Amino acid sequence: MTLNLDPDELASCVQCGLCLPHCPTFRVSGDESMSPRGRIALMRSVEDGAPITEEVKRSFETCVQCRGCETACPSGVKFGHLMEKTREALAKAHEITPSWQRFALGALDHPGLLSAGSKALAVAQRVKIVPKRLGVPRIPLRSPAMESSAGSVAGDVYLFTGCVMDVWQRDVHRDVQYVLERAGFGVIPTTNASCCGALHTHAGLGDRSRKMARHVIETLDGAIPILVDSAGCGAAMKEYGSLLGTDEAKAFGSRVFDVAEWLVANPGTLEAPGVLDLRVAVQDPCHLRHVQRVHLATRDLLRPFVRELVELDDEGLCCGAGGSYSALEPELAGQIRDRKVAAIDRANPDVVASANPGCSMHLQAAGVKSVHPLSLLAQALRG
Amino acid sequence: MSDPTLAAFCDLVGSHDPVAVAGGKTRFGLGGSLREGTRLVSAPEGILRHLPEEMTVQVRAGTSVRDLHEALAEKGQRTALPERGGSVGGALAVGENDLHVLGRGRVRESLLQVRYVSADGRLVSGGGPTVKNVTGFDIPRLMVGSLGTLGLIAEVMVRTNPIPPRSIWLTARDVDPFAVRDSLVAASAVLFDGRGTYVQLEGQVGDVVAEQALLATLGRFEEVAGPPPLPLHRWSLTPAQLSDEVCMAGAGDFVASIGVGTVFASLPQPRATVSPALIALTERVKTAFDPTGRLSPGRDVLQGRP
Amino acid sequence: MKIRRTTHPDALVSILKQALSPDRVRNDAAERSLFSNDASIFKGGASGPVCFPVSTAEVQAITRIALDHGRAIVPRGAGTGLSGGAIPLGEPIVVSTMKMNKILEVDLVHRIAWVEPGVVNLDLTKTLMPLGFHFAPDPSSQQSCTIGGNVANNSGGPHCLAYGVTSQHVVALDVVLPNGELVHLGGLDAEPEGYDLRGAYVGGEGTLGIATRIAVRLTPNPQAVQTLLLAFNSVEDAANTVSAVIASGIVPAAMEVMDQLITQAVENYVNAGYPTDAAAVLLAEVDGLSSGVAINAERIAAIGREHGAVSVRVASNDEERARLWKGRKTAFGAVAQIAPAYYLHDTVVPRSQLAGVLRRVYEIGAEYHLTIVNVFHAGDGNLHPLILFDPRENGVLERVHAAASDIVEVSLSVGGVLSGEHGIGIEKRDHMELMFSFDDLDHQRRLRSAFDPLCRSNPGKVLPSPHSCADIQSLSRIPEGVWG
Ligand SMILES: Cc1cc2nc3c(=O)[nH]c(=O)nc-3n(C[C@H](O)[C@H](O)[C@H](O)COP(=O)(O)OP(=O)(O)OC[C@H]3O[C@@H](n4cnc5c(N)ncnc54)[C@H](O)[C@@H]3O)c2cc1C
Ligand code: SF4
Ligand code: SF4
Repeated sequence: MTLNLDPDELASCVQCGLCLPHCPTFRVSGDESMSPRGRIALMRSVEDGAPITEEVKRSFETCVQCRGCETACPSGVKFGHLMEKTREALAKAHEITPSWQRFALGALDHPGLLSAGSKALAVAQRVKIVPKRLGVPRIPLRSPAMESSAGSVAGDVYLFTGCVMDVWQRDVHRDVQYVLERAGFGVIPTTNASCCGALHTHAGLGDRSRKMARHVIETLDGAIPILVDSAGCGAAMKEYGSLLGTDEAKAFGSRVFDVAEWLVANPGTLEAPGVLDLRVAVQDPCHLRHVQRVHLATRDLLRPFVRELVELDDEGLCCGAGGSYSALEPELAGQIRDRKVAAIDRANPDVVASANPGCSMHLQAAGVKSVHPLSLLAQALRG
Repeated sequence: MSDPTLAAFCDLVGSHDPVAVAGGKTRFGLGGSLREGTRLVSAPEGILRHLPEEMTVQVRAGTSVRDLHEALAEKGQRTALPERGGSVGGALAVGENDLHVLGRGRVRESLLQVRYVSADGRLVSGGGPTVKNVTGFDIPRLMVGSLGTLGLIAEVMVRTNPIPPRSIWLTARDVDPFAVRDSLVAASAVLFDGRGTYVQLEGQVGDVVAEQALLATLGRFEEVAGPPPLPLHRWSLTPAQLSDEVCMAGAGDFVASIGVGTVFASLPQPRATVSPALIALTERVKTAFDPTGRLSPGRDVLQGRP
Repeated sequence: MKIRRTTHPDALVSILKQALSPDRVRNDAAERSLFSNDASIFKGGASGPVCFPVSTAEVQAITRIALDHGRAIVPRGAGTGLSGGAIPLGEPIVVSTMKMNKILEVDLVHRIAWVEPGVVNLDLTKTLMPLGFHFAPDPSSQQSCTIGGNVANNSGGPHCLAYGVTSQHVVALDVVLPNGELVHLGGLDAEPEGYDLRGAYVGGEGTLGIATRIAVRLTPNPQAVQTLLLAFNSVEDAANTVSAVIASGIVPAAMEVMDQLITQAVENYVNAGYPTDAAAVLLAEVDGLSSGVAINAERIAAIGREHGAVSVRVASNDEERARLWKGRKTAFGAVAQIAPAYYLHDTVVPRSQLAGVLRRVYEIGAEYHLTIVNVFHAGDGNLHPLILFDPRENGVLERVHAAASDIVEVSLSVGGVLSGEHGIGIEKRDHMELMFSFDDLDHQRRLRSAFDPLCRSNPGKVLPSPHSCADIQSLSRIPEGVWG
């Protein structure tokens, strides 16, 4: 079979291996088939007619799609795009992403289904039948809807609330809304835009993710900036242009901002009664650092409001959460997380700030105290 | 072979009888005495080419190190070879470092290219003429310290170094020589004889002044003409063993090179044991280069130091 | 090359799995195809089973099994080698050191660290930095390449001008010989007894056995550093400046030259403030004590101006320095903006010949209708011409190789050598006869055979036939007395 990859994109890898240490799966396995260079080589061999064996599928499936290799690659290889295309071709041929996964992902763009499932989960948590190691946050049984505060003089912004996060981490959204309002903005929560489609893209379900992208674009029509507090969603939405290939999608992508990125560029009137007496380590979600490449904004935003900011010494190596990765590849994800936890231990912070709910949950499951940076900021502003 | 001098040396060495090179004979007994009846030959002499901008000098093995250094000094350079009255080839075959090894580098790293006469009387060349080179196996490393048992050195290309603008020796009593070593950057040697610490500082004038000021905070140092007299025997310890009484026991009078591990002692170093695997490998190397054992017979590189 | 197998391959794999563990021996087609390549442009490797040992004992076990089964072994680090050193020929067992990646001990008294071979070069330096030390060899691939690979290739880097290449920084090592025996080479003491087998081993390109534990020297971080960026109107002026600096008695920490095309690509990529209108730039760094550093920086600037430097800039802070270096270190990758592929070449010439040789290199490019750019360790005359090409162009590889051969010949004709840091591997194996006589090569073979009489470790590398031992290779049983 063919993967329909762009030969130019494929040819741009010169096999230098400079990406190897930045790949989480290679770091824990030392195995070429779990490295960017190896995965690209296998893509090439499939394009040249090699059969799709179990091992070849394993190589592609174990990729976290963190895109750490992309920022590390001096030759500018577009790894994320190559892997998305590869997965789409394989999923179409039903080589990967079995139907139960497709079903589970289906829930994400059906708010009703998702909320019903989450309610069941919340109850299950109360009766303690959900294993802790899954890292699912304690889900509120009832959570009041978010309200719009549109009409501010400083301007209005959308706050993209997404799917899982809207149900599971509405508190974070509330903190973000609070901070934005303190900065002077009117906030419109996007209650009916639903899911961004990132997880579907990663799973190779391109048709569905494109459909969802079109829905999001339609729903959030206009010129109002769209702020996102989940790095993975933000990255996906900024890339709608390349996903859909239309000018409209490109224009939409340029309206999308990570909340911290936005606030650093438009600080408004943020003033706190004092600094939080905390040593905070910033954990960069991969899709903030390697895809959106705006991870420095998190630091700039937090710096005035906390006692101390510390860097992890692993140069933004992935934590292993990877959207649904931690659920699909628990063993690898755990090994990758062990490295991250070790880096966190070396930095020895009071709390870890992570701008992606998936990363936060994954880390929390390993006993790391992890919160969204905007929640920290909200805490500082509230005094 | 285009060079008549080297061709003549090859003929002189021949290919049958037991043979060894006599250089300055300053360390002639190293590795054991030569078997009786071993013919002694002299390596050719002469400085061929000094290229200051390449930091290299091409020189025949029989040239005395002192003559070489005199010639190099005209262009402000020197080598890492110790100046003890011996020849260039001898210094390399022995491989012992100079007292100033911290500042001037190790002998084994100074040899870039070597031409030697093999056991079957052929001229063999190893390494290359440039300061950087990883072409093929590192024959020069093997030749340094081989005591003439693998090949007889005829001509070499050696790395040169600039002579620093200033060089002084200082001494003080009752200071911790290890603290001195740890706090200095430009020391070429830090020696300790059990009471006094001797330091050689080399570098830009300003740097030496700065290091001297640093030394003044550690003790009362005075300038002296040179190092203390060195006892006859040479020990090889690790830098940490120098502060270990058990390791130093049996040295008698000594001058220890701090940070390096060399000890000049009045008594010989006890023999250490060598693993059978290393002995076997050493023998395989010897046999590969000198199947009949005619080069410097009687000498054993694992034989210990006199 | 033909290898006679005495056992069915599946039996070999299951024995290996017993000796290690099932998940650390891989034999599927995908895995083996990936381990058949390294970062070089050479194809045609064929790997047998791939093993991931975690200890010296396991490496010994693999070696002995290989011996019993008449298989060769090929050690492999990160596979960033550029001369094809880690490319397996004839389906040998590939021994990856990637799971032997622990820093075992940092010993500040002896100023050494004991490391396993799979430790990544930059990881080691990062561990040492807070202690005031670093590992001096800094190849541009340092973020990925392993200490084991550095040792095997005797690798260098920009800062090896003053500090020396890997060999100078290896104090001792444990090596599993191809017969399965473990030897300890070198030592922490001042002058270890016997032949310098440590020195002979370093640079052996995996043909002398597998290093499983390495004691590397720690280099103190310099007190003061100054980095200068000099711009020139011609590559020759830059090259002549380099020669003049060394002749004046200064040994800078590093002296790197980049030509205009590569400087433009780099500038585009890192925005370090490199002048893109200059024909060449010279990046010079001096380090040490502050007074000497200041004096030498002044003198380099003055020598540069005498030799036609149109501008001299001194990096004003660490950040600026880091950016300049980042530009230099990612130069190879930045080439992707000019062409999809490159062949990175590596020869050394006497410094005084740099200008003339560079001129020839550009001419050779023109003769073969290939763009050649230059970014190199000028301080030690180590050229790195990058021959750019598009692999999809028909017949282009022949032209690339022909141009490369011409560059080798030019370098040797002025008294240079085949390789300054990337090694011989299979890339320059057949060029060895241009630099060495039959007898010279015969002696290199003798050294090799003392370590590996049966040619079981990385066969087909470094030495051209008839000096390589391809024939002995087919022996499946060990003749009496070979191991002494
Ligand atoms: C972009 C780029 C830049 C580079 N820049 C430089 C540079 O500036 N300077 C430089 O010197 N090189 C450079 N290189 C080349 C390469 O990175 C070095 O040669 C490096 O040392 C190889 O290390 P590795 O771990 O990748 O080894 P590999 O490529 O895996 O192996 C190299 C050789 O080492 C042997 N080997 C590996 N481990 C062991 C072991 N434990 N015991 C015995 N043998 C072993 C292998 O058999 C092989 O022959 C560069 C490469 C790239 C791709
Ligand atoms: S993806 Fe980039 S960094 Fe990785 S091997 Fe290919 S070219 Fe090199
Ligand atoms: S996306 Fe992440 S996991 Fe996948 S190959 Fe790149 S670095 Fe590795």
